[in-house]
Order: sequence, then C-alpha cells, then structure tokens
Amino acid sequence: MMKKIIAVAVILAIFATFAAGCGSKKVPVIGISQYGEHASLDNCREGFLQGLKEAGLEEGKDFVIDYQNAGFDDSIATQIAQTFSANNVALMVGIATPAAIACFAAAEDKDIPVVFSAITDPVMAKLDKGNITGTSDKLPVDAQLDLIRKIQPEAKTIGIIYTTSEPNSVSAIAEYEEKAPQYGFAIESIGVTQQSEVTLAVDTLLSKGVDCFSNLTDNNVVGVLPSVLEKTNAAGIPVYGSEVEQVKIGCVASAGIDYIALGIQTGKMAAKILKGEATAENMPYETITEFNYYINSAALAEMGLEVPAEIAEKAIESGQ
Amino acid sequence: MGSFFDLVVGTVTQGLIYALLSLGVYITYRILDFPDLTVDGSFPLGAAVAAVLLTRGVSPYLTLIVAMAVGALAGLVTGVIHVKLGVRDLLAGIITMTGLFSINLQIAGSNLAVDRATDTIFTAAPTMALFGAMPLIYRKLVVSLILAVVFKLILDAYFSTQSGLLLRAVGDNSTLVTTLAKDKGSVKILGLVISNTLVALSGAVVCHEQRAFNSTMGTGQVVFGLATVIIGTTLFKNLGFVKGTTAVIIGSILYKACIQVAISLGLPANLLKLITAVLFLIILVLGNRRKSGVNANA
Amino acid sequence: MLELRDIVKIYNPGTITEMCLFQGFNLTVADGDFLSIVGSNGSGKTSLLNIICGSIPVEGGQVLINGEDITKMKEYRRYGRIGRVYQNPAMGSCPNLTLLENLSLADNKGRPFGLKKGINKARREYYREQLAALGLGLEDKLEVKMGALSGGQRQAAALIMATLTPIDFLILDEHTAALDPKTAETIMELTDKVIREKKLTAIMVTHNLRYAVEYGNRLIMMDKGQIVLEKAGAEKEATTVADVLHIFNEISIECGN
Repeated sequence: MMKKIIAVAVILAIFATFAAGCGSKKVPVIGISQYGEHASLDNCREGFLQGLKEAGLEEGKDFVIDYQNAGFDDSIATQIAQTFSANNVALMVGIATPAAIACFAAAEDKDIPVVFSAITDPVMAKLDKGNITGTSDKLPVDAQLDLIRKIQPEAKTIGIIYTTSEPNSVSAIAEYEEKAPQYGFAIESIGVTQQSEVTLAVDTLLSKGVDCFSNLTDNNVVGVLPSVLEKTNAAGIPVYGSEVEQVKIGCVASAGIDYIALGIQTGKMAAKILKGEATAENMPYETITEFNYYINSAALAEMGLEVPAEIAEKAIESGQ
Repeated sequence: MGSFFDLVVGTVTQGLIYALLSLGVYITYRILDFPDLTVDGSFPLGAAVAAVLLTRGVSPYLTLIVAMAVGALAGLVTGVIHVKLGVRDLLAGIITMTGLFSINLQIAGSNLAVDRATDTIFTAAPTMALFGAMPLIYRKLVVSLILAVVFKLILDAYFSTQSGLLLRAVGDNSTLVTTLAKDKGSVKILGLVISNTLVALSGAVVCHEQRAFNSTMGTGQVVFGLATVIIGTTLFKNLGFVKGTTAVIIGSILYKACIQVAISLGLPANLLKLITAVLFLIILVLGNRRKSGVNANA
Repeated sequence: MLELRDIVKIYNPGTITEMCLFQGFNLTVADGDFLSIVGSNGSGKTSLLNIICGSIPVEGGQVLINGEDITKMKEYRRYGRIGRVYQNPAMGSCPNLTLLENLSLADNKGRPFGLKKGINKARREYYREQLAALGLGLEDKLEVKMGALSGGQRQAAALIMATLTPIDFLILDEHTAALDPKTAETIMELTDKVIREKKLTAIMVTHNLRYAVEYGNRLIMMDKGQIVLEKAGAEKEATTVADVLHIFNEISIECGN
C-alpha cells in the first residue's frame, strides 16, 4: 500500500513540477498541436515558425513554443489542447483538422485564440466562426486537372484512392468529380478504410485501365506511396502527386501546394494576433490559391511523357 | 498554482468521461469473461448519433439517451451473433465492430462537427441553471463526475439484484447458470447490452465535450478499456472495500494522468506512447508485487 | 417418474470414429428410488446422465418425466426440476462469489431473476441452519468466496444448493470421485441424509462399488451401453461388494482388460 502511495505521489510531483514551470513564464507561449508526423504537416510547422520570424517576432523574446505531437490519436490531441489551456498559452495552433478541433474545444473556456493550418474544409469542421482563424489547404484541383490534360492529351480516366474517414479527402474527391468532366476526364475512385487496403485498391484501379493516378493529401495513401509507385511503374501508369514531397519520391508531376508557404502565411496571421494588431475573431481564414508546378524529369522520361514548354518554364525540378 | 489545478481538473474530467467506457468493458471483460471488441464500434456509434442529433437541434440530454439505446442494440447484435449463431466471442465482437464502421459513416459521414452555438450537456439551460456560475472547465468536471457516479451507483445497485447476481455467475461458472435452469446465452446477451449502452454513452459525452465526431475515434478504445480495467482492478485487488466499479473509474483517471505526465514532461513528442507504456508497467508491477507476496507465504 | 424409452445414441455418426452406444436402451426410475449406476469407463454411465439432463442429443427414443416427453426440451429448461452435483467440486458453485451469494442464487431457482435484492437477508438464518446440519463448519463461512473453500466443502455446498428448491430428481455424477477418502465418506453420508430427509428420487453414477451397494434401493451395472446386472429391493440388500466385483471383473476380462 505504501509503495502505491509513493508511486502516485511521484507521478503527481512530476507533473506538478512541469506545470508550475510552465505557469510562471512571462513570455507568451504558443502551443502548437500537430496531429501527427507527416511530411506536409512538418513542412507546415516549419513554415509557421518561419512566418513568425518574418513578421518580426523573435523566439525566446516575443514568444516561446510548446510543440506537442498527438501521434494521430484523437484523445491525446484532446489532452494536449487541455494542457495548453491549463497553462494559459497565448495562442493555440492546430495543425490538421482533429488537432484544431481539439484546440478549439479546449480554448472555449478561457477564449484563447486558435490558429489552424492544413485544414481542407474549415466550414465543414465548424472552425470558421469564433475566436479562430487559419489557413486552408484546399487542393488546386483545377490546376492539377489542367496539368494532367496537358501532359497526357489522350488520357480519359484518372484513378484516385482515398480514405473514407479523412475529411480532407472526402471533400477533395467531391471537387474532383465535379470538375473532371470540364477537362474531359472521368474519375475512377476507390475509398479505403485503412492503409493496408491501399495496395489492393491500386491493383483494382490498374485492372480497370485507368490512364493515370492522382493523389489527394491522404495520410494513408501518402504513407505507402513507395509501394503504390512500385506497382504503377511496373504497369507503366504515371502517378501525379499533390505535393512536392511526393514528386521527390517518384510521382511524375504535381500542381501542388507548398506547405512551407502555407505555414508561413499561417505564422504571419498568428504574429498579428500576438502583436495585438488583430483578433482571430475578426480574421477570416485564408485559402492559399498559389500553387507551384513540380516535375520529376526522370519519372516522366520513364513513362515516355513530356511536359509542354509553357509548364516546363514555371516548373520546379524535384526529381532526386 | 492555478495551472496545475486546471491540469488536474482537465485530466480528471477526461478520466471520468472515459470511465463510462471502462465500466462497460468491466462488465464484459471482467464479469462476463467475454473480450468484447464491439466497443471499437459502439463508442463512435454513440458519438455519431449524438453529433447528428445535436446538429438537428435535439435536446442534448435526449441525445445521450438515444445514444445509449443505439449502443444497447449494438450489444444485442454481438450477443445474438455469439449465442444464436455460435460465433466465438472475439469474432462476434469483430463482426459487429466492422459493420458499425460502415453504419457510423452512414449516420454521420466521416466527420461531423458541432458548432459553438449549439448547446451540449455542458452548456444547456438546465446545466447552466445549476452550475452556470462556474467556468466551463469546472462545469465539465462536475457534469462528468455526476454522470460517472450516477452510472456507477446504478451498476452497483444492479449487481446486488438477482439479475445482477446471475450476470456475475454466468462469467464465473456458466455451467451453474444452466443447472439453475436459466439460459446462459440470454444472460450473456443482457450483459453485452448493458455494457455497450455505457460505451455508447461514453462516446456521446466525448462528442459533446469535443463538439465533434470522427469515424476513426473508436480505434483502440477496447485496448484503452482493457488497460484501465486491469490497472484499476490490479491496484485495488487486495482492498476488498473498494468496489470493482470504483476501481475502474480510478483506472481510467490514472490512464489519462499517465498521458498527462508524458505530455507535461516535455520530452520529444514521439516518445509519448512509450512513456505512457512505461508508466503502466510501473503501476502494474507495483500492483502485482503485493500479490506475489501473498502467494509466497501461502 | 423417469422413463428412458428405446434410446438410440450414436457418437460421431457418419465418420470413421462412429460408435453406437445405445441401441434401444430402456430404463425406468420410480419416484423415491435411489439408483446407483456402476460400470467401467465407456460403458455409457455418464452418457446416460447427459441424455437425461439434455446435455447431449439422442438419435432416437424418448425421455419422459411423469409421462411428459421432454426429449426435445432444452437442457437449461430441464434443470428446472432436476438438481445435479458434478464430479468436479468447482463446477457446482461460482468461485468468485461468496457462499451466501451462491446459496441465494440456488434459492431462487425456478423463479425469475429480476430486480429484487439478490441476497434475501431473511433467509440467512435458514441457510445457516442447513449448513450447520452438515457439521462442516460452513455456517460460519457465509461471507467467504467459494474459491477459498476446500473441495469437500464446495461439494457439500453444491449438494445443498442442488437440493435447496423442490426438485423431481437429484443427479449425482461421480460426485465423490475427486475427494479424498475421508471427505468422500462424509459427503456420501450427507448425500444419503439429504435424500432421505427431502424424500428425493436420486440417480448416482459412481466408481465406488461399496457406495453403490451400501446406499440406495437399486443398483445397475452397465457395459457397452447395456445393463448387465440389476438388483433391487431385498435382493439388493443382500448383495455384497464381492458379488458385484466378480461380475465387474468378468466383463472386463471379456473385453481383454
């Protein structure tokens, strides 16, 4: 019994120490809650820190960062956000929808401002009203469809794999299906529930004779991209990525969002709030509309594809 | 220290909300001796139902009741699959859980958020009338405490009835139940129904608290439930006066506390789960030490 | 009154291990009989009990209680008027419930298990009396968990539990086989006492030839699904263990044991 009391006391003492430490800081704390480790989300966070710097704020003097990673676990995201609230952070940053939702819920009591990033549909997530703002990474679907049409003038079907439970993917698919006919495409899509089903979905789409694949910013698909590319390369079918990291790994091209740029934009918005120049309440969220063309010349050559000059001039070579 | 107190309040609140899930798993795993994976499906089911009803303007308290009713149905399905169709306990739960994943998507889509303008059980008029003076964080604690205590007391009262005693018997020695001229299958089904009612309730309350449903929120909840039941019952094994229901509520709070410690320690974020695992190990080893002491002397 | 009519029992029908145990087996047990069944392993003694209780199905024939055909009745329903004590003392009670809770459960047999209090405080004295009559000190152990009691104590409790509510038959399934000689003796005496006092009809399967001879008013020996020896009434009174053992060895030799 004694041992148990000691154990519980030790546990309480540990987090008392750290809680006490956090509470006595005078420099405003920015609590960053990232849903999980992921190339796009990491880029976003790095861009955010850069954005604060570009807005003239100095780490250590004007703010300190408390970065927490929820490991793709919703209940951990909840506790992280509650920790931020308990520690009276000046600002909460939620990267990806579940983290942002958790932050917004925890921020309600003390009305702590929340800034989100990398959320495709803030309206659906009910994060568009209140003391919250941020940046949306809506996929430049038009640009991607246009790019595919220019590289593969004869193509008819685009295959897309997505996870049925990822909000970003669900709204992106809807947009693809709406806009594809305008570019003369039909979409063949397969929804999966977990990562292990992705490679099977690839086989199915290949057997249906799609002319190419296009990626959404879907965690499950992007997570197993190398094995997807193995199959599509063997079949001679090109894959268009949604972001530069994917093109680096082997996708032929992408009209993609620069997540670092997205992060920088977010950082600048946060800086305004910290400086008192604006409140999250009064700042509508911003959707990044700029995109870049990324190409992987080696991958294109393997597929026997060429990029028309108008795009090649603007494109960023990303092959490794 | 203001922030330390807030940390404790937040952690305990989470522990109490999830304690409802732990109570549900306690019934199936500990009392019925039935590892029930339905939980991974019935937990988000409760949340899905609550989210849809809240966004349609249904009274927050009513959403809890409907969630419980639907959870009961889920338990019933698993029970019937196991008892009447003869499928193994583990598999019966998996079948229901898998089916529920699709059903949850049908009910609420992949994600459904509830905006701040909509009242939840933490902000609705009756709650405000009683606890409106408190800040939201403390109000959440009080409401969660009331829910956990009320359902704990209901369960305790139930276990002291003839029906409850029979339920305890079926997990302990189902042959005896047959010899008592009762259908052990029906008793098991009842246990599954009660359990999943509580689990769905837990999911609904989480939805109220987070103002969101997402279709993957059930993943791993059965593991959470089992961990809290084992932690709670191991720690209080030799303290007979602490009822099982109390032990698992404490187990749930302890689990959340371990995660909170890991977060507050400020170590690299990726180590969060490892740290949590180490803390569990410490708790379980301390709990078992006492037990092995008794065996050595026996 | 129990009647087994033309029972046919085939194990593993249609497979290589198919074995026909009973081919038209008949047995009648009258009210008030205390029947002992002996026989070697595989003779069909336990199958017989299981057929009566409904634990295993039959391929042909009927089981009748007081003229009512219960052949198709589910096992748990049959136990409404049947009490059973198993060979394994652990099977007769719930190890993690207390003696009092186990007795309370048994006391409610035949009635709905609803939302009334599980333990009826008023009956506590009655349980103490019943347990005290066993002379094993159990009346002081009402709050002890069954798992902490010895095999003999659990079996004694199981006996009380099986006979707490009115039953038509008491089935004793080698219920002393797992106990040490002294405890077995105690339990056997208790069994006899309970059967006499409550005027029960009992069927006891046992390996112990002495018990079969000394207790009860009927004795049958089974071999390969058939009755090879039957003694009742005065004839049984006169039978000795030696007589029974003699026949037992004969049939065993025939089988090549």
